[in-house]
Amino acid sequence: MRKWLLYTLLGLASLITVVPLLYMVSLSLQTEAETLSANAVLVPDSPQWGNYAELFTRAPFGDFIVNSLVVAGAITLAHLLFDPLVGYVFAKFRFPLRNTLFVALLATLMVPFFVRMIPLYVLMANMGWLNTYQGLITPFLMDAFGIFLMRQFIQPIPDDLISAARIDGASELRVYWSVILPQTRPALAVLGLFTFVFQWNEFLWPLVATSTPEMRTIPVGLTLFNQEYFTLWHLTAAGSVILFVPTAVLFVLTQRYFVRGIALTGLK
Amino acid sequence: MRPRTLYGRYARTAYLFLLPAILFFAAFFYLPIGNVVATSFRTGPMADQWTGLGNYTQAVTDPAVQHSFLVTAGFSVMVVLGSIVLGLALALAIDQPLKGRVVFRVVLLVPYLTSVAIVGLLWRNILDPELGVLNRALMAVGLPTQQWLNTAPLLTIAAVTLWQSVGYTMVLFLAGLQGIPETYHEAARIDGADAWHRFWRISLPLLAPTTLFVSVMAVISGLQAFGQAYIITGGGPGDATDLSVFHIFNVAFRTRDFGYSSAQSVLLLIVIVAFTLIQLRAGRRSEVTY
Repeated sequence: MRKWLLYTLLGLASLITVVPLLYMVSLSLQTEAETLSANAVLVPDSPQWGNYAELFTRAPFGDFIVNSLVVAGAITLAHLLFDPLVGYVFAKFRFPLRNTLFVALLATLMVPFFVRMIPLYVLMANMGWLNTYQGLITPFLMDAFGIFLMRQFIQPIPDDLISAARIDGASELRVYWSVILPQTRPALAVLGLFTFVFQWNEFLWPLVATSTPEMRTIPVGLTLFNQEYFTLWHLTAAGSVILFVPTAVLFVLTQRYFVRGIALTGLK
Repeated sequence: MRPRTLYGRYARTAYLFLLPAILFFAAFFYLPIGNVVATSFRTGPMADQWTGLGNYTQAVTDPAVQHSFLVTAGFSVMVVLGSIVLGLALALAIDQPLKGRVVFRVVLLVPYLTSVAIVGLLWRNILDPELGVLNRALMAVGLPTQQWLNTAPLLTIAAVTLWQSVGYTMVLFLAGLQGIPETYHEAARIDGADAWHRFWRISLPLLAPTTLFVSVMAVISGLQAFGQAYIITGGGPGDATDLSVFHIFNVAFRTRDFGYSSAQSVLLLIVIVAFTLIQLRAGRRSEVTY
């Protein structure tokens, strides 16, 4: 293959990817007049940093940020706590009903979220958990993907390490905490990053499960803000940038982990 | 016959460690799935009157439901084909020893880690007939403006979906390509096969499992698409982009008909599971071994 052809293909694809995102940043720094002028503005005359402040006065954007951090953070912690624990049991223990429980766990992979959406809404309504943090967090406390990832990682740890710790009189919890967990650090990093980013971006459940502005997460709050103030594109873009920057920075710093994590999902 | 292993005595520990997971999956997966099926046989504003298969017979004869299934199927086909062609082309390009490969890989993956809210709002602005930057730019240079979201709405939101997901597909194909032993290519080179032949005769057949996985993932995510319709088009113009999950969402939370929307959820789930099984079976038959 000719090099210039490859560079052209990859360069073009990268431009199509980057230019809209750069335009989003540009839009967030334009005046309202610039966003509506007949000549499309690509670089604003003087960057309107005040747009970001205005967003906070027009909408409870501070609440959105806090909600997103609390919900994505709590779910990520839950995954880091439970997924390796369950993965450890399926990797290293033999017990009655093991295969039945494993198949039951496997089956949950076949259940897309929309199937749970309506019954979860009814369940939360009955418990009075609609429009609360616990309502946003509990449906996502763990998942089969995370458990399988951790199981794959824990399986190669030598059994002798576990036996030795038990002979030394370590409690079962201690074996898990001091022998198993320290070995899984790279996998925990992948799990934590993926969980946080995808929960930070989650749209459907927070849309269904919240009903007042101060309980919205950023993706939902921003979308509803845009529906209400359709022409204020500079403010919508400012909100998009706030939602975008944390995950983008996180990704660029840790892209190796992400690429490894995605490759893992594809290797059967 | 239980295998006698070191761990037989530790069954109690296993159950204790599994307890939170068993409680969680029972309460938030199995109970809701039971409920969605139970609700699908009921009707009324409180979904408390038994109607048997009433919701299902209504759904399969309802033109709006049929239409939303067709829309979703068309959308999924576009996303699957685009994912395979574009994802594979980019993976083949980035698999070559080029300078700056990592940069391309990072850049192309960024949209995949971006919320559908950002992607939807951004493209809605870019494509908006009056306020959008694209038409304002075309107008400024004297070119005719375009109304993509009116003339080809489904194709347009499929393209936006690809814009978001193609980096992910590329990384999957890249992992598949790197799993092909270099010796195969070397042997073919010695036999005088050019790059084109090597791709058709070696890479493509050996990538079959990856291609299968990519197409399964793309179908599953395509059939579940929601944000694109909710944010970019509102299901319109008319009902041209009334994706199934968006349709179900509206029946459930706008019309407040939980029985009818539950039945549609179950039907869509059956379609997704059936598709997945068909694809996996077809994939097993076409696997190549060397």
